Amino acid sequence: MHELLDKPAIAPDTTAAAVEIRDLSFSYGSARALKDITLDIQKNEVTAFIGPSGCGKSTLLRCINRMNDEIIGTRVTQGEILVEGINIHHPSVDVVKLRRDVGMVFQKSNPFPSSIYENVAFGLRMRGERNKASIDQTVEESLKSAALWDEVKDRLHESALGLSGGQQQRLCIARTIAVKPLVVLMDEPCSALDPIATAKVEQLIWNLKQEYTFVIVTHNMQQAARVSDSTAFFFMGELVEFSETRRIFSNPRVRKTEEYITGRFG
Amino acid sequence: MNQPHIFHEIDNSMTGLKDTILLMASLARQNLERAIQSLLTRDIDLARMVIGDDSEVDDLEVKIDQQGMDILVRFHPVASDLRLVITAMKAAHNLERISDHAVNIAKRAKKICNTSEPLETAIIEPLYTMAEKLLRDALMAFTDANAELGSSLKARDKELDAAHKEVAALLGSRLESSGDRAESLLHLILVARSLERIGDLAVNIGEDSVFLGEARNIRHEQRKIPAPDAHSE
Repeated sequence: MHELLDKPAIAPDTTAAAVEIRDLSFSYGSARALKDITLDIQKNEVTAFIGPSGCGKSTLLRCINRMNDEIIGTRVTQGEILVEGINIHHPSVDVVKLRRDVGMVFQKSNPFPSSIYENVAFGLRMRGERNKASIDQTVEESLKSAALWDEVKDRLHESALGLSGGQQQRLCIARTIAVKPLVVLMDEPCSALDPIATAKVEQLIWNLKQEYTFVIVTHNMQQAARVSDSTAFFFMGELVEFSETRRIFSNPRVRKTEEYITGRFG
Repeated sequence: MNQPHIFHEIDNSMTGLKDTILLMASLARQNLERAIQSLLTRDIDLARMVIGDDSEVDDLEVKIDQQGMDILVRFHPVASDLRLVITAMKAAHNLERISDHAVNIAKRAKKICNTSEPLETAIIEPLYTMAEKLLRDALMAFTDANAELGSSLKARDKELDAAHKEVAALLGSRLESSGDRAESLLHLILVARSLERIGDLAVNIGEDSVFLGEARNIRHEQRKIPAPDAHSE
């Protein structure tokens, strides 16, 4: 059960969107990083955030699980974010639990300096799971879902740091999904990976979207076109265009989007 | 219209593709004009020239495919860039077929010229004028990504179709009493048919121009729209 939402991980489709962002503005000190952002992230879809550096896409991503709370001087100045209908800024929301339900995979893989097994089991133990058989089963299922099981099943208790970069990133995905989040946020998850490792992660996202909702920040236009269902283009803290990915990359409505995706910016 | 790409090589490649299309279009138009002139003026040398020049048009079609493929592989174009590559390759195919029709006309012109009996070839001139204008406007629509002009061609092609029907009926009616000229008349009927087909191919280019300009696919739209009385009781 999800403590944040108090309902099963794969919740019945009672609301249209997994994440609803409403008139959100966000500031770093006096600098407005996000301006009146409104968009819905649909369940079991992959939503890509694209835009030039500094456009606010990563900031918005980090707003969804309140990672920006860790940065002094930042604040949501207006608006709200609802995850499965729950306002994540409500005083009753436990941020630690929020981040379990809205997991995150970072640009650089960041396995803990422990065994492969322990990396995946960590979140389960934090959640209070003590049953070894149950943990074993979830670790195996998560590693299988992350398409990593066959590569690591014989060395589960070896250090995760001995894995390749691509394997480490898939391990981080396995670690994230082990606690059955509602939403998985990915901040340039393939930017440090070679094309084969990138393809594996993309295939993984494609497979896992049957069960999870993904939001991915990427600078790679082809990656956004390949893996996402919807794409949001940001520029200078504003949401310029948000539409079906195939539309964005074939016939964007806004000239700024066209200029950016075709490489005519600046 | 569009500002240049940051990576200038994309613009260079796109410009190269456009230049090849324009060259191919101008050669196809020239072939058509010469083919008709060879028929109207009984100029066999001109007809031979059209037949010989067609290989150049064929080569340009291949070149456009190569340039398009190269752009797709190297630059992964999207949006208007992608539409330009796709439509350029399709337009090249239509231009190649237009040039083929010009060759057909030239071959029939040669055969007609080889007969001693003069034939009322001028009867097909209005068809040529209509087909040529359609082609010219289709190419203009493509060059300017002018969806409005591109989408207007279909209606004008219907006028060409009607004119072709009249000419074909007229020439057909003369067949029985034509005696030795029957074969030449048949050639002329097929020349008219080629001009009618060129109109269709120009419409295709016009439809691609709409896709290029506005990403709207208007092909086969008539088939999609139910007839007015389709739902009537």
